[in-house]
Amino acid sequence: MLEMLSYDFMQRSLLAAMLVGAMCSVIGVFVVLRGLAFVGAGTAHAAFAGVALAYLVGLPPLPLAIAFGLATVWLTGVMEEKGRMKLDVSIGILYTATMALAILFIGLMKGYNAEVYGYLFGSVLSVTPEELGIILALSLLVLGAILTFSKELYFIAFDQEMAEASGVPARRIFYLLLTLVALTVVVSLKTVGAILVFAMVLIPASTAYQLTHSLSHMTAYSVGIGISCATGGVMLSYLWDLPSGPAIVLLATAVFLLSVLLSPKRLRRAGLAAS
Amino acid sequence: MAKTIIRFSHATFGFHDVLALKDISLEVSEGEFVGVIGPNGSGKTTLCRAVLGLLRPLEGSLQIFDCACEQLRCHHRARIGYLPQKGALDRNFPITVLETVMMGRYGVLGLFHRPRKRDREIALEALVNVGMQDHRDTALGDLSGGQQQRVLIARALAQQPQVLLLDEPTTGIDITTQHSVLELIRRLHQELGLTVLLITHDINMIRPLVDRLVLLKTRLFAAGPPDEVLKPDLLSQVYGKELVITEKDLVIVEDYHHHR
Repeated sequence: MLEMLSYDFMQRSLLAAMLVGAMCSVIGVFVVLRGLAFVGAGTAHAAFAGVALAYLVGLPPLPLAIAFGLATVWLTGVMEEKGRMKLDVSIGILYTATMALAILFIGLMKGYNAEVYGYLFGSVLSVTPEELGIILALSLLVLGAILTFSKELYFIAFDQEMAEASGVPARRIFYLLLTLVALTVVVSLKTVGAILVFAMVLIPASTAYQLTHSLSHMTAYSVGIGISCATGGVMLSYLWDLPSGPAIVLLATAVFLLSVLLSPKRLRRAGLAAS
Repeated sequence: MAKTIIRFSHATFGFHDVLALKDISLEVSEGEFVGVIGPNGSGKTTLCRAVLGLLRPLEGSLQIFDCACEQLRCHHRARIGYLPQKGALDRNFPITVLETVMMGRYGVLGLFHRPRKRDREIALEALVNVGMQDHRDTALGDLSGGQQQRVLIARALAQQPQVLLLDEPTTGIDITTQHSVLELIRRLHQELGLTVLLITHDINMIRPLVDRLVLLKTRLFAAGPPDEVLKPDLLSQVYGKELVITEKDLVIVEDYHHHR
């Protein structure tokens, strides 16, 4: 089993999985607590539309994916603030519209482009050294920003108006959070794919949510679960010759289901209700 | 004569042509306990948001401390401890009592400053002040409604504020707990010398506590000691048919429905 660690590509993919696992699971805490799950899922599809457009016109995919991702989250943020329409409706429209754009761009391409599908389904085992460099740089940026603004991010997740009222620039922090969500999604696109990336954001944090009633513990558990599932999934994918994205996500889902069954919170509440 | 710390002069507030408060002139001095009363939709919460600097006056001016509040995001906010109207707190939100109270330090610290040992001490002291020190590691969601109010008051105290601004602190908790929460506020007012602005629909409950009452219904109808404000002619102008005054001079505003 240890022989897999001797291959360059395995070292790269394990490192990539670890970084993506860490980044997704930390941002996931704020996404879950601030109720932005659907926003992130929409962003993943928008970013994929950016990738498709890049391949269509022959530009590098990363900048366009970032541009599409950012445009979507910011638009969603504005819509939430204005509150003219229910958020799930407006995101639902954005989500499907960007997916339609992606399909349109793919349809306009001449012939079949396997690389584009790599972004849709993820292929961590084929991460190149350059891609690993980009993942490393962007994940350090995202994690650094979260660390720097963690107290403000926790505060707006708990109660944005109360945060604003006590002098925290809550609105700007909210947009920072949206921006970090978009960057996380884009960076993870190549690893787990547009369809599955959001599972990596939601599952570790929701699993941790089941297990504790403390913010700091929730974050620590989430990161532990995120990194373990991402690297564990890569290993399973190598050992059993499975596609990496689904291996990671299904492993995480299994851990999540286990946490729901064994949730101390749920058991305690059930105990309180029974007594 | 105590220093004036909040001064509305002919201030008007509203959104999109709907005026929530019109031509308000009011001064609050340091150390005063002021109760703000009025029916639903009378602009009580708007007054609160204005003091917090979340709203800019459309006309007139509002000064808090030495600050004219032209800038919406204003440094004075950290000096006002705010207890928001009790919304539905998500009982599953994973946060401990101490983590909740520590959030009171975040605005004061400002960006790029991490909480230190001293901030933790201030938070623990705030918990002692509200009598919740034994629950610091309890989940906020596991506490009763009254205990949660105490913790949120401790969060406001952790800001080491000069002003305590409380929006309907007794709504949604049972009557015994209401009394103990108000007793806590009275004690904090006296012991910590805080200026208290308490917004409520429950006139009877706060009447014995306040120095002054402010009677609102979009305009400011009266401001003064309870005996001057709680006069049938004044009250009936504001409350109309919902007002009943019993023989023992108790004011009962009927049928209060909490819209939120």
